[in-house]
Amino acid sequence: MHQDEIPPGTLYLLILKTLARSGEMHGYEIANSIQRISDDVLQVEEGSLYPALQRMLIKGWVTAKWGTTAGNRRARYYQLTAAGREQLAVEMSQFERVIGAITRVIEAV
Amino acid sequence: MNWLRELARRLRMLMHRRQFDADLEEEMRLHLELRQQEHLESGMTADSARVAARRRFGNVTALKEKSHIAWGWEWFEHLALDVRHSLRLLRKSPGFTLVAVLTLALGIGANAAIFSVVNGILLRPLPYHAPNRLTVVWEKNSDGTPDNVGYATYLDWKAQNHTFEQLALYASWQPVLQAGEPEQLNGLRVTSNYFRTLGIQPELGRDFLPEEDNPTALHVVILSHSLWARKFNSDPNIVGKSIAMNAASFIVAGVLPASYESLMNQDPRGGSVEIWRVLGYDVSQPWACRTCHHLIAIGRLRDGVDFAEAKVEMDTISAELMRAYPNEYSAAGVVLTPLVEQLLGHASTPLYILLGAVSFVLLVACANLANLLLARSTKREREVAVRRVLGASRKRIACQLLAENCALALLGAAVGLIPAYWTPRVLAALGTGDLPRLDAVRLDGRVLIFTASAALLTGIATGLAPVLRLSNIDLRESLKEGTRGSAGGAGRRLRGLLVVSEVALSLTLLVGAGLLLRSLSRLLTVSPGFDATHVLTLRTSVLGQRYSDNTILRQFFADAVERLRALPGVESAAAASQIPLGGNIDRYGFHAEGKVNANPELDESAERYCITPGFLAALRIRLLRGRDIVASDTADTPGVILINETAARRIWPGEDPLGKRVKLGGLDHPWLTVIGVVGDVHHIALDAAPDMQVYIPHAQWPFPDSDMAFVLRTVGPPTALASAARRVIHSLDATQPFSRVMPLDAYVVLSVQGRRFALVLIGVFATIALLLSVVGIYGVTAYGVAQRTREIGIRRALGAQPGAVLGLLLRQGLHLILAGTVLGVGASVALTRFLASMLFEVTPTDPLTFALVVVVLAGVAILACWIPARRAMRVDPMVALHYE
Repeated sequence: MHQDEIPPGTLYLLILKTLARSGEMHGYEIANSIQRISDDVLQVEEGSLYPALQRMLIKGWVTAKWGTTAGNRRARYYQLTAAGREQLAVEMSQFERVIGAITRVIEAV
Repeated sequence: MNWLRELARRLRMLMHRRQFDADLEEEMRLHLELRQQEHLESGMTADSARVAARRRFGNVTALKEKSHIAWGWEWFEHLALDVRHSLRLLRKSPGFTLVAVLTLALGIGANAAIFSVVNGILLRPLPYHAPNRLTVVWEKNSDGTPDNVGYATYLDWKAQNHTFEQLALYASWQPVLQAGEPEQLNGLRVTSNYFRTLGIQPELGRDFLPEEDNPTALHVVILSHSLWARKFNSDPNIVGKSIAMNAASFIVAGVLPASYESLMNQDPRGGSVEIWRVLGYDVSQPWACRTCHHLIAIGRLRDGVDFAEAKVEMDTISAELMRAYPNEYSAAGVVLTPLVEQLLGHASTPLYILLGAVSFVLLVACANLANLLLARSTKREREVAVRRVLGASRKRIACQLLAENCALALLGAAVGLIPAYWTPRVLAALGTGDLPRLDAVRLDGRVLIFTASAALLTGIATGLAPVLRLSNIDLRESLKEGTRGSAGGAGRRLRGLLVVSEVALSLTLLVGAGLLLRSLSRLLTVSPGFDATHVLTLRTSVLGQRYSDNTILRQFFADAVERLRALPGVESAAAASQIPLGGNIDRYGFHAEGKVNANPELDESAERYCITPGFLAALRIRLLRGRDIVASDTADTPGVILINETAARRIWPGEDPLGKRVKLGGLDHPWLTVIGVVGDVHHIALDAAPDMQVYIPHAQWPFPDSDMAFVLRTVGPPTALASAARRVIHSLDATQPFSRVMPLDAYVVLSVQGRRFALVLIGVFATIALLLSVVGIYGVTAYGVAQRTREIGIRRALGAQPGAVLGLLLRQGLHLILAGTVLGVGASVALTRFLASMLFEVTPTDPLTFALVVVVLAGVAILACWIPARRAMRVDPMVALHYE
């Protein structure tokens, strides 16, 4: 099955949205969640989640704490902060603006 | 605020970076393992599951690095690494490190020391509230010079102006505190709003009250923190207590905070004002008149008013006063001097000149170090080339080299700060003249920041040349085994340039020092008009009700002089209200009969000495014509006066002044007959032309001074007689306090101390610069000679005369010295005019000084070239040919 790279600049949006939908998650879960919901179309280079998460930690969009997985392994769970929720709104509107513009361009006769 | 929280998070990461790295590693491992597990469950083999998981994850190391970079501390970690590496390198070459650190310590330490002085004296704000709104308000003389104000004028100024929030007065006051051993204090008499004008509140007790500011009110005083601690054991209940001064009692109203330092001291020996009392004047008093110019007015400008507006208004008020009292002012208008300028202005020129001079020392040190680093960089080419080949970027190499230099410079600064710590003590021992606030000079935060910045700048500046060279090296050439350092033409030119600038900078400093030295030696040959050797002086002031009787007062001083004269070892003795160069000046209007102006305020004025007979003899002031004041000139005989040459020449040109009559200090005073003409005396300073001077007998003057100085001409060392003199005076009145017990020549030394201070410092800087330059020139020549050893050998073997080869070797050095000298003379001509105000009878371009300095510098520099060249000549040609 064909898989697409995610459009550049949307990784934050995807992570933020995923966390907003499901509350706490660790990195592996986030990667899986993005892939599953996009019906396996979007595939992140999974490792690149981690530098992104580090940057989001610094920005204060997410917080992290260590917990235990169902399989009883130690994992770092990320959670959205208030600032992260605001950022999600910003990224959403930005994304919609861009997509809207692109749509208009390609649908113009 | 967001960026602040972000910074806090970044800092937390930096501090726990090991933990963060471990966390990241663990969560990545978990991810990979979970993915691998998933693949296994879908039926892959263990190996292919692991490979697939890895492929999906990406480059673990790169990602880890990327996450790490996200924290934003990469530069810091590199820096830490570079510094560690640098320190290791410096430890490996201790000889180089020692020389470099010492050179830098000299340059940076001297700068830190001088900056600490500039900072403590000039840059620190005055200890008043909003000090830049404070100004001194002077009356203006007909020649435009400022003059003190009279009390009546002050009252009009105060009532009529709208530009000053407060206008206060102060006058010098030297009360004798009778607590324990009587002690004369430095004090001020001030109007009750004085501290409100300055914006100071007492720490203990209260400020003066307006109703206390009149002649009949209770005497109240405010003490400085230091006096309170020194004389009253920091008594917490001092407020309201009575203290005895000048045989009267004063009530302590308050104590000022320790942070307050008075700068209004007028004592030439320094020391601070420690006590304040209310002025307590009333216009009816004779000394409160308009022409009684003995008070200094300080004003605080209202908010929104600038100096120009205040001047315009005060000029108008002054013009109206002149119209109303035409005979009591010499000119309309005022002079405003911002308080900062009044208090610190005289110190700023010499201090900024010193700062400039010391920065030259640093530049010479930099040039030397740059030379050293350039020579070293040749040896390091291989090391740098290897690191480049192993993948270090050009930028990383440059950063590493700069970090190395900065570490070196900071090390130098740290060493340099050690002696700089003792700057205040060295300056105090040296004597600085009238530099204010010297006790506040210390290594505070600002000095440390300045020093660190100077060090970093030095590190970068000196490192730039080697960095540029090393980051552009030809890798292939440098890696070849056995190549000599490619000391190309560019490197040699740069080193030459450094030597030229060293010579030029040192020459400029030497010229400055030379000019100051010539000035001081000129000044010291100025005859002061008196003989200062073998004279002891001591001041005393009589106290108490008893001495309000003029006869008793006069008798006390006459008796005291009589008994002092009888002491063994005393040649002659006298007493006088003023001592030349003693910093205390009393000017009186000089109204000559038949030459009085319609407005007597426009008449000349003269410095007045109230003396007992024998004063001229004790100081060996020449009597040119007529007779001296004698014991038979008493209150009952006609008034007499001695005038100096300048007065005779100015008032009676071409006439015989003897027998002419004068009124002193107002037309309502009695006529005095000129009985003699004496030589001029330098009263204010050796470098100021003597003004008109008059001498009047203490026994005749209607207001005999109660504060007098005894002068004793002694056979032996003057200070040996100090205790005998005290005993004699105490045998007359045991309550007499003494102050300024010192030989007369000490006053002369004090009067030139400011010049000596500048001379010594600039001289030291010039010497350091010269030594550094000599080392630099020597180093460059020696290096050049060493590189040409083989060539020398060949030339010698082919039969070249030693002299010709020596000339060849010297030529390069001589060219550099010549260029440096020309440049230095040019720079000196341009810069020495800033010294003009500190020179005496020497022009800023004094040809003799310039010539001497050029000869000395060129001589020393040529010697520094000649020694290594000469040594090279002694090498056996065969050895030279086998060199390397």
